[in-house]
Amino acid sequence: MMLVVKRILTYVVMGVGTAFFALPVLWLLSAPLDDTPTYAVRPPRTFSLDNFASIMDNRYAVASLVNSTILSLGTMVLVVSAAALAAYALSRARVPGRDALIYLLLLLSSVVTGTAAMVPIFLLIFQLGLIDSHFGVILVLTGGLLPAAIFLLKDFIDTIPPSFEESARVFGASPLQILRQIVVPVARPGLATIAVWTVVQVWGSFLTPFILLRDPDKQPAAVLVRTFYTEGGSPNLGLIAAFSLLYSIPVVLMYLLAWSRYGFRFHGGIKT
Amino acid sequence: MAGIEISALTKEFPGGVQALNGLDLSIADGEFFALLGPSGCGKTTLLRTIAGLETPTSGSVRIGDRDVTRLPPGARNVAMVFQDYALFPHMTIEDNIAYPLKIRRQARETRLKHAHDVGSQLGLDGLMRRRPAELSGGQQQRVALARAVACHPSAFLFDEPLSNLDARLRLEARTFLKRLQRQLGVTTVFVTHDQAEALALADRIAVMEAGRIRQIGTPREVFGRPANTFVAGFIGSTPMNLLPGVVRDGAVLVAAQQLSVLDVPDGEVVVGVRPEYVAVTENGPLAGAVATVENLGTSSLVTVDVDGLSIGAVVPEDREVEPGTRVALNPTRVLVYRDGELVS
Repeated sequence: MMLVVKRILTYVVMGVGTAFFALPVLWLLSAPLDDTPTYAVRPPRTFSLDNFASIMDNRYAVASLVNSTILSLGTMVLVVSAAALAAYALSRARVPGRDALIYLLLLLSSVVTGTAAMVPIFLLIFQLGLIDSHFGVILVLTGGLLPAAIFLLKDFIDTIPPSFEESARVFGASPLQILRQIVVPVARPGLATIAVWTVVQVWGSFLTPFILLRDPDKQPAAVLVRTFYTEGGSPNLGLIAAFSLLYSIPVVLMYLLAWSRYGFRFHGGIKT
Repeated sequence: MAGIEISALTKEFPGGVQALNGLDLSIADGEFFALLGPSGCGKTTLLRTIAGLETPTSGSVRIGDRDVTRLPPGARNVAMVFQDYALFPHMTIEDNIAYPLKIRRQARETRLKHAHDVGSQLGLDGLMRRRPAELSGGQQQRVALARAVACHPSAFLFDEPLSNLDARLRLEARTFLKRLQRQLGVTTVFVTHDQAEALALADRIAVMEAGRIRQIGTPREVFGRPANTFVAGFIGSTPMNLLPGVVRDGAVLVAAQQLSVLDVPDGEVVVGVRPEYVAVTENGPLAGAVATVENLGTSSLVTVDVDGLSIGAVVPEDREVEPGTRVALNPTRVLVYRDGELVS
């Protein structure tokens, strides 16, 4: 009897929890197709694609998605290449105080992109003349994401036995050949994971681009969506919903792609 | 093909760990040479120094007529098989075997053909398109060997090549390895902590302890006449009896009984006798009660208490004795050690 009650309670709690997280998703799927969307989750009253058409009319909307792509890919390239080199070096070289260094970086990284550092970062970027440039945002975001990326990648590279590289060395491979032919291919699932993670982080980041990009032509989607109001001053729900749906599709696709290719499983060397 | 000459080789790791201590060693062309010792004795460091993966603190390594001490690993023309085989998980077997040839910029067709030739020589037909993870341990080991064979080195270096295989497979692989080395006639140095493996495979063995070589010799020499008590205790599947004794007027006494007469000065000694060379008889110099009997398959190891000393003796399977019976022991091939070194 107790077991049955326990089981019922478990399912009720799980059901409530699932509904809580499912409701916004359902709204995101139904509202964009609704002619007159409200905050309620309901099937579209009158089915229409007008909301998507109005996105095409908004001169900033499409550009903002392009901006998001530029920021994401730019940061991703910087983070993956810098983190791969740093993680490889930290994994293979005997640096005294290595672990302390990594933890310190990890700790400080949350400060770099955090609210507290926004004023100094703004001043820094201002003095570098990088306000209103994508490159400035990419630099700041890269700085914030690098420590965590290094930390994750180092853990991954630690599982690759050094004997792979030593074996290649004995056969006469140069350091560059070892990196290209052995280390990068073996570490590919780890690199892909970091790449997807970086893109998702940048895609959703608001504060840094909001502060460093003043020109609406350069703002990414996450920043632009805040300007979607009607002339009356109330949120333009149709536009926001349709735009949000478009905005979330790339991230979902990336997860599916990474999941199907690598399953987010790390595989290192053979067990010894 | 080439011999390997090592002189005054010393390797000190940062932090002051002395892994190799003034080592001299000469390995002949075509020889199958074992580096044997307990873990931490420096045998793997020595092998890695020959490969060039470690740089010696001082001393030199020559392969053939070249001094390779300062050469990078790739320029030494040696092939190494690692304990974990180090097969590249993202490449097929054929690509793995052909990898050394890829480094030498051979055309893909040439090197794949060569890989297939070597692969079939080592019984890897039908596995060439698979990935390492799809192969059994024994097959992976043969792929690692094939990759080493494919680059035609002047020497093979094997780091514990059999230790990742289970006991049964290890015996098969041992025979396979020995036949392969005989066929190719390439100088081979291999590291092992398993004395039986070293005795079975090697033409000569260097027994190492704490960065030094304690004895170099053929398996027969190392087994029959260990140069010191360390080697005596390390070699042999049943541990050698090392008994406190004295020499008086050339007579070797253990437990006040005379075992043999040898030409050694008087004094306290350690007497070494292999259990295989101790006969359990009706009358012999040493007498005592059987304490334990351990079955070894075709023979049994009998431990006898003689005046507080435990002495092991191996008896054939039809001559077993019951624990508790009083027996006499007749040791032959008695070795005498003084201060740890063999004197007779």
